[in-house]
Amino acid sequence: MDKNKSPLKVALHGMDGRSYKMMTMYLQGPCKGAAMVVNENNAECDIFDVDVVKGQKSLAEYLEKKSQRPIIVLSLNDHKLENVLTVRKPVKTDDMLSVLSKAKELTYANIKEAVSQVAPSLNRNDNAVQASVTGKAENIAEPVQEEQKLKKFVLNTDEQKKTSKHQAAMQLNEKGFGAFIGSVPGIDVNDHKQFDKAHYNPKEYFQGYVDSAFKVSRAKGQIRQLNSGWNPLIIFPQSDEVWLDVDESQLRAFSGLAINNTLGSKMSITPLSQEASAMERTLERFYSMDAFLWKVACWASKGRYPVNIDINQPVYLRNWPNFTRLLVTPHAMRIAALLIQGPRTLANVAEVLNIKPQYVFVFISAACSLGLAGQVKREADVLVQSPEIKSNKNQGLLSRILSVLRGKKA
Amino acid sequence: MSQYKIIFTGPVGAGKTTAINSISDLPPIKTDASASDMTKFRKASTTVAMDYGVMNLPGGEKLHLYGTPGQERFDFMWDILVTGGIGLVLLLDNTRADPFQDMRFFLDTFDKFIADTTVAVGVTQMDLSGKPTIDDYHIQLHGMGLKPPVFAVDARVKSDVSLLIQALLYSLDPGLEG
Repeated sequence: MDKNKSPLKVALHGMDGRSYKMMTMYLQGPCKGAAMVVNENNAECDIFDVDVVKGQKSLAEYLEKKSQRPIIVLSLNDHKLENVLTVRKPVKTDDMLSVLSKAKELTYANIKEAVSQVAPSLNRNDNAVQASVTGKAENIAEPVQEEQKLKKFVLNTDEQKKTSKHQAAMQLNEKGFGAFIGSVPGIDVNDHKQFDKAHYNPKEYFQGYVDSAFKVSRAKGQIRQLNSGWNPLIIFPQSDEVWLDVDESQLRAFSGLAINNTLGSKMSITPLSQEASAMERTLERFYSMDAFLWKVACWASKGRYPVNIDINQPVYLRNWPNFTRLLVTPHAMRIAALLIQGPRTLANVAEVLNIKPQYVFVFISAACSLGLAGQVKREADVLVQSPEIKSNKNQGLLSRILSVLRGKKA
Repeated sequence: MSQYKIIFTGPVGAGKTTAINSISDLPPIKTDASASDMTKFRKASTTVAMDYGVMNLPGGEKLHLYGTPGQERFDFMWDILVTGGIGLVLLLDNTRADPFQDMRFFLDTFDKFIADTTVAVGVTQMDLSGKPTIDDYHIQLHGMGLKPPVFAVDARVKSDVSLLIQALLYSLDPGLEG
């Protein structure tokens, strides 16, 4: 099923928690793109499990209301109810897809009919409106369908979590790093003589504003909007998600831009009204807060380290980043594995691992943005040298396993 | 020819079988049976002996992937399974009543093996239950004097399982080049 097609918004009835989750996952898996589970108020179609008493009761009540929405019934038995589509259990994917497709046709037919009923009354009442409506239901119905193609649904939090779950980590290799992260003209961040210039101030980039907005939003426990004179960033602290309606390439460009005074004066953090918060949003534009800030920090860094890090002093890593949900820059896991053993200077990390300093700098920028890394403050940590790393006796074997795993990326 | 293995452990329903399935080069050999005890409240069938998968390595070597049965009454097998293992992957189900208790149980049970090798922790079902968070796990682990990688994992997603094992290997030797 083409996931770009607009999925039918369905509400599930008469199911216990486990069945509800199972059906939700089924519609996201084998039926992906055909349907998505939403709250009853936002649904276009209703699915009932009538093999349980609760489901039968819900269906009976629902039929009494004479709703125009298509109804799908799941049952072990045949049901011949008027205007009801039936799927026999155990549910087969082909049967389900076929019925969802019929339900979708019915939904659009209902929309067209509703519009054709409204259009003549508009024509009678308002000549100005008549010009735009032109008396043709098709012309009005199309934008409705077009809007559905934009897939702007779902405030069901379970659905959002599902989607963010699928934002699996992207593992960058050295080859793609330069093009993806960018570079700073006039500075060779890998030249140790230029290390003292190879830093950046996160506060002068979008990263700094995002960081502040996250802190405010989390402290207040409120949905907030970061206004930037660009597309607003909506922050949902309860679900640890953000929403931003831009392409990744646009976000990358904006994140790498130093914010000057003019643009900075447009930055503000405002609470979001109840109405605006409840608005339905494009599902693909939700990101986890950590994954978003981590990525924005990588793009601001462009291979430099944060200005608050002293290049000559060791840094520590509090704990491993949750790499399955973050952008994995080249050698990031090796750097994490080394720093978790004890603090080291950035140059020492690059030297021990025999890698370009830019990979260490970009990692430390991202880790600092999430508060996972920082400069060692205690004298004892500076005085005591980190242990030398010992090669594992099975190094050859481990390297071979790694090469297979890295070739196996899904 | 040498035989090497990675052990997958964790409570019932944490995704051990699925994780092995995700990265095995051969269809995994499963030893599932219909659940008849408390397990049946979590899933219809469960692993009663062990799961087995294999990854083929260059040069004809094989990496064996073993999953321990989740039920404690089979824990007599665990010592046998870990012998010769290069590391432990601990999978925890975030929807369980007390995932920290599960974590402590498995870390205590395998403490000697972990001391000799290393451990990586994957937390599954985070889409269904966001709490405890990954940070919460780290806090618990720090209290136990451990700093292993802890990742949110969807056992069905190959790249998630792959990254967890990569972290396990880099924990053994950060100098590795893959």
